[in-house]
Amino acid sequence: MTAPGRVRPLPAALLVTALMAYPFVDRWLHAQTVHAVTDAMIYVLLALGLNIVVGYAGLLDLGYAAFFAIGAYTMGLLNSPVLGSPLYGHAWSFWVIIWIAALVSACLGVVIGAPTLRVRGDYLAIITLAFGEIIPVAIRNLGDITIDLGGWRPVERLNLTGGENGVNPVGRPHLPGVNFDTDFIPWYFLILAIGAGSLWAMNRMRHSRLGRAWMAIREDETAADCTGVNPVKTKLLAFGLGASFAGFAGSFYAAKLQAITPGAFEFNVSIMLLCMVVLGGMGSLKGVILGGMLITLFDRILLAQMTFLIRAVGRSLGITALASVDLTLWRWFFFGLGLVVIMLIRPEGLAGRRVRPPAADVDEGEETLALVAAPPRPRAEAIPGWLREPGASAAAPTGRPVLDVRGLTRRFGGLLAVSEVDLVIPPRGIVGLIGPNGAGKTTFFNLVTGLLRSDRGEIFLDGESLVGLRPHAIVGRGVARTFQSIRLFQNMSVLDNVLVGEHCRLRASVAGAVFRPPVVVAEEARARARAREMLAFVGLHDRDEELAKNLAYGDQRRLEIARALASEPRLLLLDEPTAGMNPRETDTLTELIGLLREEIGLAILLIEHHMEVVMSISDRITVLDYGTRIAEGTPAEIRRNAKVIEAYLGKGYEEELVSG
Amino acid sequence: MDWHEVLIQQTVNGITRGAVFALIALGYTMVYGIIGLINFAHGDVFMLGLFISLAYFALLGMTTTLQGWHLVTVLPLVFVATMLTTGVINVTIDRVAYRPLRNAFRLAPLITAIGVSFMLENLTLIWRGPAPIAYPDLFPSVDILRDWLGIDSLLFITTKDVLVLGVTIPLMVALQYFVTRTRWGKAMRATAQDKETALAMGIDVEKTIILTFFIGGALAGAAGLIQGLYYNIGMWWMGYQAGLRAFTAAVLGGIGNMPGAALGGLLIGFLSAWSDQYISARWTNALVFAILILVLVFRPQGLLGERVPDKA
Repeated sequence: MTAPGRVRPLPAALLVTALMAYPFVDRWLHAQTVHAVTDAMIYVLLALGLNIVVGYAGLLDLGYAAFFAIGAYTMGLLNSPVLGSPLYGHAWSFWVIIWIAALVSACLGVVIGAPTLRVRGDYLAIITLAFGEIIPVAIRNLGDITIDLGGWRPVERLNLTGGENGVNPVGRPHLPGVNFDTDFIPWYFLILAIGAGSLWAMNRMRHSRLGRAWMAIREDETAADCTGVNPVKTKLLAFGLGASFAGFAGSFYAAKLQAITPGAFEFNVSIMLLCMVVLGGMGSLKGVILGGMLITLFDRILLAQMTFLIRAVGRSLGITALASVDLTLWRWFFFGLGLVVIMLIRPEGLAGRRVRPPAADVDEGEETLALVAAPPRPRAEAIPGWLREPGASAAAPTGRPVLDVRGLTRRFGGLLAVSEVDLVIPPRGIVGLIGPNGAGKTTFFNLVTGLLRSDRGEIFLDGESLVGLRPHAIVGRGVARTFQSIRLFQNMSVLDNVLVGEHCRLRASVAGAVFRPPVVVAEEARARARAREMLAFVGLHDRDEELAKNLAYGDQRRLEIARALASEPRLLLLDEPTAGMNPRETDTLTELIGLLREEIGLAILLIEHHMEVVMSISDRITVLDYGTRIAEGTPAEIRRNAKVIEAYLGKGYEEELVSG
Repeated sequence: MDWHEVLIQQTVNGITRGAVFALIALGYTMVYGIIGLINFAHGDVFMLGLFISLAYFALLGMTTTLQGWHLVTVLPLVFVATMLTTGVINVTIDRVAYRPLRNAFRLAPLITAIGVSFMLENLTLIWRGPAPIAYPDLFPSVDILRDWLGIDSLLFITTKDVLVLGVTIPLMVALQYFVTRTRWGKAMRATAQDKETALAMGIDVEKTIILTFFIGGALAGAAGLIQGLYYNIGMWWMGYQAGLRAFTAAVLGGIGNMPGAALGGLLIGFLSAWSDQYISARWTNALVFAILILVLVFRPQGLLGERVPDKA
């Protein structure tokens, strides 16, 4: 089994040889394509950076060219005599400034990212577009600032950016014995080195704790938050790191071109980069490189050659309309068409992972399916050892309740969704939460897990207050949950889903993810081993690499529980875990819940409509109706409670239970 | 001109500009309300409205200022024809580029919308060439204060300003009536609220969506025609900028909210006219975009919209 992200040696060696030999072959053939190829590689690098934001984190950035501009202008202004920069003219200037440019771009990425954190996906896209528009306008206008306040001019003709004329010249890099002045080959190798380094770093990030967090955010931000991923930090890292690559690309571009103007960084550029990412396949490094190369090839060579060809045909056939065609005018039309066509026929892009139709669990006969997909019965021996480790999860034997909720209240407008609800779960306790639809059960869950803010009331976990904490922080404290309608990270593998569950227990930083010191390697290996054990426990072994969305319904339910368990909770909240399951699967799951309590001492709060399940495994049951607690007691007490029978169970329930 | 005359003049300019933004903004807001899509190509439908109306006028041989009965026959005819055409174009865009993606991941239709926008702009570029196109001065321009009322003022308010309001206000009133008082309007509101339930209640959701795109496109076409008659110039790239300003207007007013779109349009009209005068036209775009960002971040429900609680 090869580690993910590892490449096979032979094709890799061939590729490297080809890339190294190419400029010399080009010179030998007098093809003179190195210059164009170098430029193309700048755009591929940009597309790769954009891919972090769009492909990994799922944040549609329509203003990525702004970061390109910032990188280019950082290099341009710091390494140019135009504004009298003291850094200009030294042998080391370029090599230092390229890092400054990446840093400035990353900071700007965070600055632009910050306000977008609160908004939805499509609004975010528009905000990035707006920033992408503002930056070139600002660069243009800041080249000539005059403030006129009724004749008084505190600032007159101040030039901060070179304005419409741009910046020219820009200092070149210097290396002893290398000719950057007249030869294109050193530039080719420089961008090749920057690109290879970037690719290496990106690939490592992709297969790390951080990469999984990005994809979890992309798939389902709320679920990610409730699985222990900090969405704010994760998104800002995507914006910042994504932008830093544009900083490298921009500073290289400025130095190579020797002149920059604001026109080179407009909306069109952002869209062309988006085209590359979308065509290749969002989230796939190989795909984006392929997409980038195809689009540049199309743009630079194919359009011109086709024009030539069509004109020749037109001339020979005597059709003047054809003879005067200029396809390069159609350039942007084709980019637009490309976006539409790819989205319509292959939204996952050229290299995207083809998604199989969901496993057959719809029209097939329920009975046969239950036989085929009968889940293995959970076994106590299969419980991952690490869940049992002292301190890993089980409550310290203090006798203090694991969860202690007092007077919890939440109002939606005029509706009291949850009103003055008290609820206590003792260590190793299983508490059932029942009530009619709309009684406030899920709202209660959302309050405890921090998805909703309570208006009033206290929530203590082992004596620590959870009020005011964000969901991911609450997961960190030891509360995990599942959702009523399954919320897996659909387009991530089964194994990765569980690994996201472990996210808040792992420590690898960005630098750790890229440089992989032994600590990180060991941590990652342990995390994977644990995830596999967890999958084996819930009966999903051998399904590691499958996409979560391809699992059958019952398997998805169990995967969601595995993901929740992976965060090593002290308290597990299950929202209708047996909904939609057949009797066989329901039994298995009930056994599994019982095992979790007995073997690892987990406290469990359970919303459930299957009365047999609730009554058989709960120690105590709380009943909600119209947001208030109408009863609390042992299953036997609840069964006889007149209020509960009226509001929820219905008359005759008891006889039904006895006879059935 | 005195400072107050300048202010009044720029405010009048703001109203006419704002009326055009409002017409475009209505299309954004209706489509967003009903299928939750930022129809990025909408601004380009507006631009097409200008060029298509120009083509219709040319077809009817109208190249100079319309006089007498031409004014009351040709002008309404071209209005109707343009609105029908752009309405059909907008519906076609939806059928081809958005409808197949109703169940795709959320950003997919936005990406195709951007693609469509590029296609429309560049088709126009190829059709009419890269240079700005002169739109003949077809609507008679009379200085109302001086020539009709005999007031000696430097203020310049013409029959064209009246035309803009004379078209946009009735259109908006009619739309408001249609949406709040008719059966189809009710279907639109129901679909915007909850597509599944509307479907269950026997509303033909797809037909309602078609209707929405048609109305939005028709309004954008009318806006394009007015723009041409008022400013006498058309550019292939104007849809992008006007579209973004109109979208800002829709967001400012509260996206999904039709009176909000009208209000937002007016406000953006004033702001851009005042910014051109008092700051600098070079900065107006940046100002409008800054407003867009601030509204989206701090008050995404806009001025008149209601806050929709997130569903967990």
